[in-house]
Amino acid sequence: MKKWFDTDTFREILDSILRNRSRSLLTGFGVFWGVFMLMLLTGGGQGLKQILMNEFDGFAQNTCIVFADQTSKPYKGFKKGRSWNMNYADLDRLRNLVPELETITPVVSLWGKSVSRNDNTSSSAVVKGARADYANIETPRMMYGRYLNDSDNAQERKVCVLGKKVYDELFPEGGDPCGQRIRIDGSYYSVIGVDWKESGGININGRASDAVTIPINQARKVYNLGDRVYMLCFTAKEGITMNDIIPRVREVIARAHYVDPTDEQAMFLLNTQLIFGIVDNLFKGINFLIWLIGLGTLLAGVIGVSNIMMVSVKERTTEIGIRRAIGATPRQILGQIISESTVLTLVAGMMGIVFSVLILYGVELAMTQDGILKAPFQVPFATAVLAASLLAVLGVVAGLMPATRAMQIKPVDAMRDE
Amino acid sequence: MALIELKDINKTYNNGQPLHVLKGINLSIERGEFVSIMGASGSGKSTLLNILGILDNYDTGTYHLDGKLIKDLTEKQAADYRNRMIGFVFQSFNLISFKTALENVELPLYYQGVPRRKRQEMAMEYLEKMGLTPWATHFPNEMSGGQKQRVAIARALITKPQIILADEPTGALDSKTSVEVMQLLKQLNQQDGITIIVVTHEGGVANETDKIIHIKDGIIGEIEENTRHTAWGGTIIK
Repeated sequence: MKKWFDTDTFREILDSILRNRSRSLLTGFGVFWGVFMLMLLTGGGQGLKQILMNEFDGFAQNTCIVFADQTSKPYKGFKKGRSWNMNYADLDRLRNLVPELETITPVVSLWGKSVSRNDNTSSSAVVKGARADYANIETPRMMYGRYLNDSDNAQERKVCVLGKKVYDELFPEGGDPCGQRIRIDGSYYSVIGVDWKESGGININGRASDAVTIPINQARKVYNLGDRVYMLCFTAKEGITMNDIIPRVREVIARAHYVDPTDEQAMFLLNTQLIFGIVDNLFKGINFLIWLIGLGTLLAGVIGVSNIMMVSVKERTTEIGIRRAIGATPRQILGQIISESTVLTLVAGMMGIVFSVLILYGVELAMTQDGILKAPFQVPFATAVLAASLLAVLGVVAGLMPATRAMQIKPVDAMRDE
Repeated sequence: MALIELKDINKTYNNGQPLHVLKGINLSIERGEFVSIMGASGSGKSTLLNILGILDNYDTGTYHLDGKLIKDLTEKQAADYRNRMIGFVFQSFNLISFKTALENVELPLYYQGVPRRKRQEMAMEYLEKMGLTPWATHFPNEMSGGQKQRVAIARALITKPQIILADEPTGALDSKTSVEVMQLLKQLNQQDGITIIVVTHEGGVANETDKIIHIKDGIIGEIEENTRHTAWGGTIIK
């Protein structure tokens, strides 16, 4: 019994494909283009998503931010339009009454502060008062030194962490600035670290690179902020959906301040999970379209292969008839046509995969800055393997119809077609 | 029993209007005979040859080939019989144009599953027999008609068949090469004892054979013994 895959069979297949080079090339191009587009778009979509996600970089994805504003609904005898503030007791209330919360941290921003090191170097910055656990909300990327810690806050130390832009302006010569002093509004602070984070599209109270972060207790003391909490950030524990606990957060804070818990304006709440959800859904849609288009193109290519194989079978009626007359079984003819279409599809498709991988590699090279890749564009290996096996299946399917046609050719047809 | 035994073979083509081509053919051909089937075009001689070569089915009657009843065979069985029992030589040579002489000759063995090296050895041997060794790597369109037909004969012989069926083997050849090809067939018949059946409408070609079977309007007419090769004046005239 003949083996299914020996060199002879392969030579026969190769012979037939190479005999009509230009036609094989054009036919294969349809499949090539389909796979190429599919892979390229998949990789591109994934890279774009990552680039967009980079905008949110350093933000805990389940963060929620709360501000107090004027009330818009009357409540418990108070008229609407009343101003109110959150205070530090709210932190304890939330901690006790909403155990699903992970980090609860206050932050205050003081805008347009002038920061200087000596007479020559100065910079305009946002002074942020924060606690050590603010790092859980907006993750710093420390270049020099360290971030604030609990002792800094407890002991009201006069220390600060510089944003990248502020650092660049104050220390144009570069180098580790830790231990040096800078002046903000007449007070001197020693630098304990530099946050290299380049914030993207999402910022809480100004860009991280424009900020000088000091312990919040120090800020309260220096700027006389008292017990007032300007902004409250919190994250939910793992596995908790923020939307599920937000009503209880509102309830807890509102009750303490005689504010209507349903008053959305009085307590402005920004839920980043919602934004991430939107982006996620957007890219799910884009992905769906990519696969629709890619698979559609691929399918068109495969139908092209099937069509051309059909023509080729018709053209080769005599040849197939001769083969049958000298002892080829219909099964052998079937095998040959299906193998031809599979090889054609696979080779063209593999070239599509390789070509798209090369292009995506080039894109990745172009997107790399200082040796750091901004976003991965390359298709995952598993996707490529999936595409390759899909191609094999499609190749067989494309060969089926022409092969059945070829099988119906009788040996006598070889003599008739003269 | 004779090598080929036909009893009351009927064949009708049903392409639109039914066409009764063979109307009760009775024929037996012994092992080692060299016969020709003669008839005008439309007489049914090609259909008869197709049935003999298991290329076509018949409607009623029986056909025994080497004692086996050839009826309702599966495609695979038919292919196997064709491959092992019968060698075909066609008027238009029917070589595969994109294969060399050597590849054409070895093709039947490929379908038998003979290993490549063995196949090539045997193909070379048969090409040598045909005097075509220098042409082994040439493609059919680089050869003359006589050479092509000899390649086709080598291809028919390589499976060591018991019967060679030749359908107008000289139809596309000039008279000189026609004589050569017929001499070759005669030689194969006499030296190797292969049964050879030639279909032709040329008297000169038929005269080279030992027995001439005349077929007319789907029935067998005269069966002429021609061991002395005196019919039709004895030469191939074109």
